[in-house]
Amino acid sequence: MLIINNLVKNYGKFKAVDNLSLEIGKGHIYGFVGANGAGKTTTMKIVAGLLKPTSGSVVVAGMDILKYPESYKNKIGYMPDFFGVYDDLKVPEYMDFYAGVYGIEKSQRAKLTDELLELVNLTEKKDFYVDNLSRGMKQRLCLARSLIHNPELLILDEPASGLDPKARVEMKEVLKELKDLGKTIIISSHILPELAELCTSIGIIEKGKMVVSGTIEEIMQKTSQKRVIRVKVLSELEGAVKILKEQPSIGTVNVHNDYLEADFHGTNENMAEILKTAIKNEIPVVSFTEVDRNIESVFMHLIGGEGNEN
Amino acid sequence: MKINPVVEKELKTTMRGWRAPLLISLYLGFLLLVIYLYFLANDQLYTHGLQSFNPRVAINAFNTLAFFQLLLLLFITPILTGGAISSERERQTLDLLLCTSFSTYKVVLGKIFVSIANILLLITASLPIMGIVFMFGGVEISNLILLFFFYIITALMLGSLGVFYSTIFKKTIVSIVMSYLTIGLLTFGTYIIMALFYFFFDGFRTEPKYHELVAFLFANPLFGFGTVIEETASNSSVFGALVILSKGDFAAKIIIKSWMINLGFDVLFSALLIFLSARRLKHVK
Repeated sequence: MLIINNLVKNYGKFKAVDNLSLEIGKGHIYGFVGANGAGKTTTMKIVAGLLKPTSGSVVVAGMDILKYPESYKNKIGYMPDFFGVYDDLKVPEYMDFYAGVYGIEKSQRAKLTDELLELVNLTEKKDFYVDNLSRGMKQRLCLARSLIHNPELLILDEPASGLDPKARVEMKEVLKELKDLGKTIIISSHILPELAELCTSIGIIEKGKMVVSGTIEEIMQKTSQKRVIRVKVLSELEGAVKILKEQPSIGTVNVHNDYLEADFHGTNENMAEILKTAIKNEIPVVSFTEVDRNIESVFMHLIGGEGNEN
Repeated sequence: MKINPVVEKELKTTMRGWRAPLLISLYLGFLLLVIYLYFLANDQLYTHGLQSFNPRVAINAFNTLAFFQLLLLLFITPILTGGAISSERERQTLDLLLCTSFSTYKVVLGKIFVSIANILLLITASLPIMGIVFMFGGVEISNLILLFFFYIITALMLGSLGVFYSTIFKKTIVSIVMSYLTIGLLTFGTYIIMALFYFFFDGFRTEPKYHELVAFLFANPLFGFGTVIEETASNSSVFGALVILSKGDFAAKIIIKSWMINLGFDVLFSALLIFLSARRLKHVK
């Protein structure tokens, strides 16, 4: 459904997207994960036809978006991270406007609007002006708008951003329904557990580059060759880093505020040996544990978390 | 027939709010004030019988109203169109339009059509006021039709100009200011350029010929307006001077009149602006 090949987007000397490739099959839900400024929105805007790539190709439903810059847009539905609405329109009028934009016959619009409002649980707000809807409702209305022409690929950029917990749950329910309807979706989010629950596969992007991509199981497998140990110390952080880096079974060491995380390639015996060495060198160790592997920790580890790599 | 959804939405929302009735009221109020002051200044308000009635004053009232309507058109159209695209950008709805297969030409044409429709509404609403002068005679219906035709094509050019700047500048206020500057250049600027030219190269020794006027003033709406009102303007009035500036000689018989040239320019310029606006919207960075 979506094939991105060696996509590059430069803003002057800054590389927003750097040789990014990914492939999403029909009916799949692809989670696009990355920190702010990692290049998620830029990639999504390129797929939505709002930005021109510096190089590379994007193929949607068999159509190269540079060769068919207008006609391919009927195949996609796009919901940006920040968007506005026409406040002075009523909810059905808002839907009717976009139905008109997509060339849907007037006779079909009312039925279509009713179905989509029901899908996003806004039927009871039908007589409201868009201005009077809450943020979460506006998000769901925008989602309904992006579905009005029955697109083959949905591009959802942070659909749950800025929502309160209740609105997030409601949005998640709608996305689950779309999943059940067999829609192909590319979705970016910061809420990783939610993505893990929804997505058939995910891609982690950092500084415009795809760090890892695949099903959640594949990613866990790829990254589980490296075990991660977390060491919390009272003081002597520098000393602890030095000792860890001297160990042959330790790879990269990430320093966080009051703890360290290190890639570990050894056995349990090696791990016990490292703890022994730290205590022998009078490092005040508070805790020494192996990090439980979930998608969030994989993400934090792959992008280096908030700490500095040493 | 499919109606352009941009037109449908804009007309619906424009007429729904309080701005449209307020604009119409202000517009008509201003025209009423103009006609009242005009009759007052010409001592025609408190006359009894036909002895003090001057038909020339009634005809000049038509010219005065027509002139002020043109000025209002030049003033209001940039306000109506200056935010056509930039307001979509400001409220973050533009991307939602551009990621669809809806043609950018249709977006631009829809916005211009709405501005012309609003101008038409104002002009139509002003008909009863214009009708006052018909009570006195001297103005034919063909004069009025030509005048309205001139207004509509001028509004097309002004609307295209506003939309064009709206696609370039992110802020509505900047596009409105740029529209006013351009209109100022077209109306007063071309007269100033012509005057400077004749001052430095001719010392105002000869009167400019018609083709010379055309060369300098073809883009000037006042140049076109001069021959729109030529049948109702008298040689001695201020409108007579405007006619002279549009023909070179008040009594000259000219086949291709200044309004035809000016409207021709308006149509071509509008087409260029529409093309550039649609291209600019389509152009992804």
